[in-house]
Amino acid sequence: MEKSTFWVFRLATYLILIAGFSVFGDIVVKGSATVFGAFKTTSTFPYFTNTFLTEAPESLYVFEHKGEKREMGDREYRAFREKETAAALAAGQPAPQFKADSYVYSAGGIWPCIVGTVLLVVGSMTIALLLGVSSAIFLSEYARDGAFVRFVRLAILNLAGVPSIVFGLFGFGMFVIYFDWNVSLLAGWFTLAFMVLPVVITASEEALKAVPKGFREGSLALGATKWQTIRSNVLPYALPGILTSSILGIARVAGETAPIMFTAAYVVRDKLPWDVEKISDFFFQGVMALPYHIYVVSSKIPQNEYTARVQYGTAFVFLGIVALIAASSIVLRNKLRGRYKW
Amino acid sequence: MPPDHTAAADNTGTPSPIFAIQKARTRFFGLTFDETIRVFFGGNAFVAVIVLALITFFLFREGSQFFGQNRDSLRTYRLAGLEYVDIIRQQEEDHTALTRYLFDIRLKAVVKLTEEGVDAAEAKRRLAKFDDYAERYGDTIVPVRGLVSELTEVATDIKTRYNENEDYKVARQQFLASGMKAEAEAIVVKNLDFSREILAITGTFPAYEQINTEYAEALKAAIAELPVLPVPELQPRLERFRELNREYLATFPTRTELLKNWNNNAPVGWSESFTQFIFGTRWLTASFWQDWYGIIPLFVGSLMISAIALFIAVPLGVGAAIYVNQIATPQEQKLIKPAIEFISAIPSVVLGFFGIAVLGQALRALSQWEALSWVPGFPYSERLNALTAGCLLALIAVPTIFTLAEDAINNVPRAFKEASFALGASRMQTIVRIIVPAALSGIVSAVLLGLGRVMGETMVVLLCAGNRIAIPDFTAGITAFVQPVHTMTGIIAQEMGEVVRGGIHYRALFVVGLVLFFIALLLNFLAQKIVRKYRISIG
Repeated sequence: MEKSTFWVFRLATYLILIAGFSVFGDIVVKGSATVFGAFKTTSTFPYFTNTFLTEAPESLYVFEHKGEKREMGDREYRAFREKETAAALAAGQPAPQFKADSYVYSAGGIWPCIVGTVLLVVGSMTIALLLGVSSAIFLSEYARDGAFVRFVRLAILNLAGVPSIVFGLFGFGMFVIYFDWNVSLLAGWFTLAFMVLPVVITASEEALKAVPKGFREGSLALGATKWQTIRSNVLPYALPGILTSSILGIARVAGETAPIMFTAAYVVRDKLPWDVEKISDFFFQGVMALPYHIYVVSSKIPQNEYTARVQYGTAFVFLGIVALIAASSIVLRNKLRGRYKW
Repeated sequence: MPPDHTAAADNTGTPSPIFAIQKARTRFFGLTFDETIRVFFGGNAFVAVIVLALITFFLFREGSQFFGQNRDSLRTYRLAGLEYVDIIRQQEEDHTALTRYLFDIRLKAVVKLTEEGVDAAEAKRRLAKFDDYAERYGDTIVPVRGLVSELTEVATDIKTRYNENEDYKVARQQFLASGMKAEAEAIVVKNLDFSREILAITGTFPAYEQINTEYAEALKAAIAELPVLPVPELQPRLERFRELNREYLATFPTRTELLKNWNNNAPVGWSESFTQFIFGTRWLTASFWQDWYGIIPLFVGSLMISAIALFIAVPLGVGAAIYVNQIATPQEQKLIKPAIEFISAIPSVVLGFFGIAVLGQALRALSQWEALSWVPGFPYSERLNALTAGCLLALIAVPTIFTLAEDAINNVPRAFKEASFALGASRMQTIVRIIVPAALSGIVSAVLLGLGRVMGETMVVLLCAGNRIAIPDFTAGITAFVQPVHTMTGIIAQEMGEVVRGGIHYRALFVVGLVLFFIALLLNFLAQKIVRKYRISIG
């Protein structure tokens, strides 16, 4: 009786793990084919390139030519068509007819999306860490328990529960419309930063509290001021903890789609972010982002063998990045727990 | 908690004169350097509060005008006589529903006959009388339908002219505001006299009465002579059909009364605008007739998907929490906890994509499997529906529920367990009778927070819920769970990009956002309240 009940619990646990890893496995298996199949050799250093990771998305053209089925990206297809037409004309034959099925975004790669995601993550985490760590320092070092602190903590707790789409709406209403920043990196940074703020504050506070009281007391006893104590005796020891726990925040920022849908993400953009006329334009441009690109390719284009490649490839790269961040956070944290034992 | 010596520490900023180390202190707004830093950090701590306030403010700023605009829209609906037409249209739609009931009977009869081995031609011959009857019954509505379509055109025309006129007015105002007088004069505003225009609609009342009386007579005649079905088992259904028709006929006098007393100048109150949103059962946009913004279909969709997700996630999450904390070996613990944490890092958009690409088909294939046909709702044909979305959302809710529930179980004092063992209870008894009840408040709050997570999730439902804006048909019972639905989060994500800024639709989406925001706050509040109220005091 007891054994069998325990088995039920065990089954529940392993069912979760199986479900999670079957999602993971499906995307890794099908997606890695796209990514690893896109390696090509080049004539310059480093003598290889990955077209999927380094090119912009293109339309895919599928057509039959001389009885042979061919698939080409947009640019390649045009060049091919011109070449064939010219060759045919030179040979005095009528220009060949091309009847191609086109699938948007299904050729080329996802380079602009990777760039956009990295920019969004770096910017928003910088803002979130600045605000969050300062906030945590106040809560753990300065504040005394009282109505004000309780109020702040309540706000943090509630902020953590606000749905991400509401953050998106808020960012749209405040940054995009009221501040008139349009769909831009800056609007996305602030929206994401506010969203991840509770995670950063909680993580930082925990790390600060892990620093033993004796460190502070020793410093204060030697005549250091409060700020000197924090700067030299608390922060250095708390910093690794703050950073590792905040990596989880990075995973959250990178993984969210809803907040950037109306604030920062473009469906498609030809220029890369650093391709701007003046520096200030950099902050006020929208970018392509991996999560939004997944949404676009999985909902706006039909499901078939030609589109599945880019869908799975994008999902694989994205999942890989996020999983890497999350895994490193988990591993680093476990290591850190072992290292600092006061 | 900060150490208790903070008060003493603050004094170090102002050395007593005995030591007389005179140094000019930099002061910012009368604060010393240390105090400035303190204020700086304190201000940052306030950011969370400010952000919450800003969210509330901006959602209200964009959304609050919705109710005014909705009121205007409803007023036009009434003034232009659309409401009048809809009252008659309802009568027509009820009839259509009854006709569908007849079709349903026929379908069942055909199935039954086929089972008995009757071929299609023979079945058709046997049902000929019934078909004849159904056709005659269907035709009874024709005069009413004709009137409705006639009136629809008239009302649409009035509304269109009114709206055009309003647009002219706005344009004129804009010209006047920018000082272009000549252009403003060129715009001729013809104010509509609704009380005169409406006569084209209300004037048809005698005609309606005439048609209606004839219609009622025809209906009565139709139900007086019911056909005899070739399948005797279905005869009670026909009796039920007669009953439904009687009920339908009984509504006629009230409807006539309603039309007679209908007044296009009746005021539209704020409460009407409000109730149309909160209790409205239609979310209908960009329609040529009348736009409706009722949150109920979206709310029901959200609720249904959450129910499915929690139905799966709660047993799994809580079960896993109990297993990991109480039963598993330390090695297993070390493996499972990070693994589940890792699952929580899977981005929702990836899960949504997985639903579209794999799970949707897989579940449908499973539902069509012969051995599972006893499950209510199986087999189904829609690939993307509430069930698909619910299953994926369960995977999102599980890590939240697991982590918090595990924490709660972990916080149960060790002494409880030891005392239980000392009294001779088995491990099983200890877990079920001692540990779980002691941790129950934490578990419940974990479930509430999981619910909050699921309700607020966007990408999975947007991609996998099927996005059909309608209240699922609950008459079929539990099978409603495999119907496609739309959700509050999904509608915002889907329609926000396509609406006109400042329009009523745009504002409606912000109000939906507000509703979501307050639901999230409420769930959070409840979770905290439960934890605080039922916390076990240690010692």
